Amino acid sequence: MRGKKRFSGPEEKKPNGERRPRMKKYLILLVILLFPVQAFALTGDEIMQKYLAAFYYPGNDFKAKVMMKLISAGGEVRSREMTMIRKNYGPVGGKQKYFIYFWRPSDVRNMTFMVFKHPGRNADRWLFVPALNMVRRIAAQDKYSSFVGSDFSYDNVSGRPLDEDTHTLIKEDKIGSRDCYVVKNTPKAKDADYNYRLSWIDKKTFLPIKEEYFDKRNELYKVFTDDKIKDIDGFPTVLKQTMKNVQTGHTTVVTYEKIDYNVGVSDSLFSERFMQAPPMNLIQ
Amino acid sequence: MRRFSLVEFSVDHPGSVVILCVLITMLFIIPFPRMRTDTNPRHMLPATSDVRVWNNKVDNIFALHKDTIALGIANEKGILNPSTLSKIKYITDQILKMKGVAAQDVASFTTIDNVSVKNGILVVGPLMTKVPQHRKGIEALRKMLYENPLFVNRIISKDGKTAAIYIPLEKGANGKQIADKIREIIKREKGDEKYYIVGDPVARDTFGVEMFKLMAVFAPISGMVMVLVRYLMFRDLFLSITLMMDAMMSIIWSMGLLIALGFPVHIMSSMAPIFLMAIATDSMHIFNEFYFRHRETKNKRTAIIETMNSVRRPVRNTALATAAGFTVLIFMHIVPVRVFGGMVAFGTILLRLFSFSFIPAMFMFVKEEKLEKIARHEDIESDRTSGFLKKLAGIGSNHPKKTVFVGLACVLIALVGLTRIRVNNNIVGWFKKGSDIRVADSVMNKALGGTCLGYVVAISPGKNDMKTPEAMHYIEGLQKYLGKLPVVGKTISVVDYLKRVNMVLHNDNPKYYAVPDNKTTIAQELFLFSMSAKPSDLDNVVDYPYRRANIWVQLKTWDARAMKDVINAAQQYRKMHPYPPMELKPAGTAYFDLVWNNQVLWDMVEGFILSLVTVLAILILDFRSIKWAVVGYTPLLFTVLLIYGAIGFIGKDFDMPISVLSCLSLGMAVDFAIHFVGRFKQRLKETGGRESIEDALLWTAARPGKGIVRNAVLFAASFSVMIFAPLTPYITVGAFIVTMMLSSAVFTLVCLPALITLLQGWLLKGNAG
Repeated sequence: MRGKKRFSGPEEKKPNGERRPRMKKYLILLVILLFPVQAFALTGDEIMQKYLAAFYYPGNDFKAKVMMKLISAGGEVRSREMTMIRKNYGPVGGKQKYFIYFWRPSDVRNMTFMVFKHPGRNADRWLFVPALNMVRRIAAQDKYSSFVGSDFSYDNVSGRPLDEDTHTLIKEDKIGSRDCYVVKNTPKAKDADYNYRLSWIDKKTFLPIKEEYFDKRNELYKVFTDDKIKDIDGFPTVLKQTMKNVQTGHTTVVTYEKIDYNVGVSDSLFSERFMQAPPMNLIQ
Repeated sequence: MRRFSLVEFSVDHPGSVVILCVLITMLFIIPFPRMRTDTNPRHMLPATSDVRVWNNKVDNIFALHKDTIALGIANEKGILNPSTLSKIKYITDQILKMKGVAAQDVASFTTIDNVSVKNGILVVGPLMTKVPQHRKGIEALRKMLYENPLFVNRIISKDGKTAAIYIPLEKGANGKQIADKIREIIKREKGDEKYYIVGDPVARDTFGVEMFKLMAVFAPISGMVMVLVRYLMFRDLFLSITLMMDAMMSIIWSMGLLIALGFPVHIMSSMAPIFLMAIATDSMHIFNEFYFRHRETKNKRTAIIETMNSVRRPVRNTALATAAGFTVLIFMHIVPVRVFGGMVAFGTILLRLFSFSFIPAMFMFVKEEKLEKIARHEDIESDRTSGFLKKLAGIGSNHPKKTVFVGLACVLIALVGLTRIRVNNNIVGWFKKGSDIRVADSVMNKALGGTCLGYVVAISPGKNDMKTPEAMHYIEGLQKYLGKLPVVGKTISVVDYLKRVNMVLHNDNPKYYAVPDNKTTIAQELFLFSMSAKPSDLDNVVDYPYRRANIWVQLKTWDARAMKDVINAAQQYRKMHPYPPMELKPAGTAYFDLVWNNQVLWDMVEGFILSLVTVLAILILDFRSIKWAVVGYTPLLFTVLLIYGAIGFIGKDFDMPISVLSCLSLGMAVDFAIHFVGRFKQRLKETGGRESIEDALLWTAARPGKGIVRNAVLFAASFSVMIFAPLTPYITVGAFIVTMMLSSAVFTLVCLPALITLLQGWLLKGNAG
């Protein structure tokens, strides 16, 4: 595997710690010769850094129509439809702004939701309630809480800062036709709502193919899968993903449509004024 | 060709018969290791029963958990202090780590969602993330707790002295095991706090475990009591043990068969051994007669054969009556009851088979001298018991009119008592008053909104109908209406969340603690709430298409009747408010208990009536006379009426254990009449009119009557052990059977002579002459 061209998106910077002394290189070569199976070329930290870049930070900005299906254990379906706009401010892992416009359910149409993600501190969130013509700031008390009633947490939607977990590459695996790194991510803080998560990261795209969350009892409770990946504007992009809570049987399926990268979103969009009157030409 | 006689064969080949019995018994032990138990008394209704299917559907629609345990934490000085609060936090954390706990839906201070506004910022998240250490923080927490009706009476009591943690269980988790784990955690905690564990799964699974323990302890004790009482009666250990072996073999055969057929041992079938042991006491009549006969003939073999000839018919017919009484149960609807009926009927028939083979065979092993020694006491002229029984029967035969009159008066009084009978069942009431579970339940019910949970599901015709102000007002009104019932401690619905969100959005202005006036606002406020709260918060109270809403009704009692009150009130409310069109359907554990109680009860009443008819039919067949059957039937009916009348007067609920018992007792209590009438008629025939009817009656009372009394005493002795059980249904069973057996024996010995004397003309027409 070593020496093969690694994925390099426009965003990618050479992560620190990739340079190795020559001796080590030979040593690794030796190891490879001795163990022809596979040598771990990247550390868990490096893999997750690339994952963050590929999954949460591609492009300067990003826009998509997001369809969310919440499926109860009994098979009932609740649909959410929204336009999501994201803009990066700074490098991978840095500040990001999200603007979300709800189309469905139809009685919440025109509701907008805005999130400013800051590295190292809680995000800021605002919600516009059209029926009351009121913008409300919402405290981000719990990053593990559900995003709009789905099985995705706020962390799942906007990405978890790398330094909040320790990342250990534990093995390599194959899912379907994709070769994956399997990284164990263990939250450093004790108040996390799970003990650890295992991520199957595609070696080519660094997108997560599967993630398994293990609760405080080390029992599997959530499973994330990427069901469809496609290249859009040169970025490998997830078109469909699923999060299933295996303990409750509740599932959330998310599909993305009308995906656009680098549309040139202006900073002024992220304001209370535009929350109340979103630019429909951009939102459409 | 001579007819084959099982008795003669057994007497001639006693060794082979005994060895064969033992061998077959060992064969029936083989399936024992495969025994499965089902300790859930609610499984009396099959998984396919309407109520279980509907409850499962409701659980699915509203993402509810079937079972929830509540842990109460009480501190006389109030729970809002750093020490108690950190205990709550620590215990919650430990509970979240337990296997079998539905961790995501545990409701405690640290996990329950709170919606509040702070400096204009909307905060949705757990009520308490960190334990406040200073007054300011504590006061802020107090304010948040008491201003939110979703918390008061649910996770905190009005007086602030009790907090609760609600612990929903995953499917299949055992409530007692989890309760035990929680007990381990709280045992390690020091301080003033007191802890109370309540909830249906704890009661149910504890009951299940206790039940099996009881059967393992009480069945052997019962057996030993019977051996002892028999020994006192006959002064022969060998024969006492023989009788016990007879019972043990029938228990092993029927249990073995049950297990081999793949049935789990259920609450009902676990009682079968004790019933079989009691039914086995009927072989007492063989012993009774045998000693009399032995005294007369001085020959063992002849005595046995003569004994068997004279008791054959009554023994066979009582067995038939008992077996029929239990066989009737096979036609009931409740599966464990059917299994139980089949099992006991099978065991009863076996017992009779043993009476004609195993018991005579065993007699052959007893030394003649020993028999003589015992038999010497068996003389109706010199024996004190026989003398007493003669006097007893004398009351009836000497004062027949007075006796019948007194009897009728008793029946009238009993009928008054009958009208007072209250149908009810209470699963927590199955534990004794001072038991941990009862105490915890009453403490928690006093402090909080109620430990028993039922639901009322409101169903509107169309999608999104629940978002309308009309629907919300309707539910709000219904909650208020139900809240007026004394049994209802608290109700929770989507309206409570909505009003809370509406007020918080309007900067905590109490004026806005109300349902908004248009559908869009309602929809958007609920959506806003769902954006940050746990999904289950809303899922638990409203379905996905907003067509059905679920109203949680916390009841302060486990009485099955309480839910009946709720259902009636909901229907009244619906009649008073025809608009908007809304269907109201009950669900949940409380509702299940109501249906379960009613179904088992009416099934049993049906069985009881069927039993009555069957027993009468058997009497008619046995006596070959409707008249005699009616007379023989009287003491039984009389006993039953008096007992139920007494239950009505005492105020004891007519609950499931009682209803099951009434059905069972018939087949057993009629035995005495069969023996009495059978032997009396036989005596008349034997003496061929040389003896007056009065004398024949007195002889019957003194000789087979002694057998009847011995049987009743033995029966009562074995069941009296259950009066000391820690679970009330067993006490009920014990007390009921003891009373039933003793009184029906006495009534048989008093009523029958009275009736026979009074009706002799009618009864003996063309018979004795």
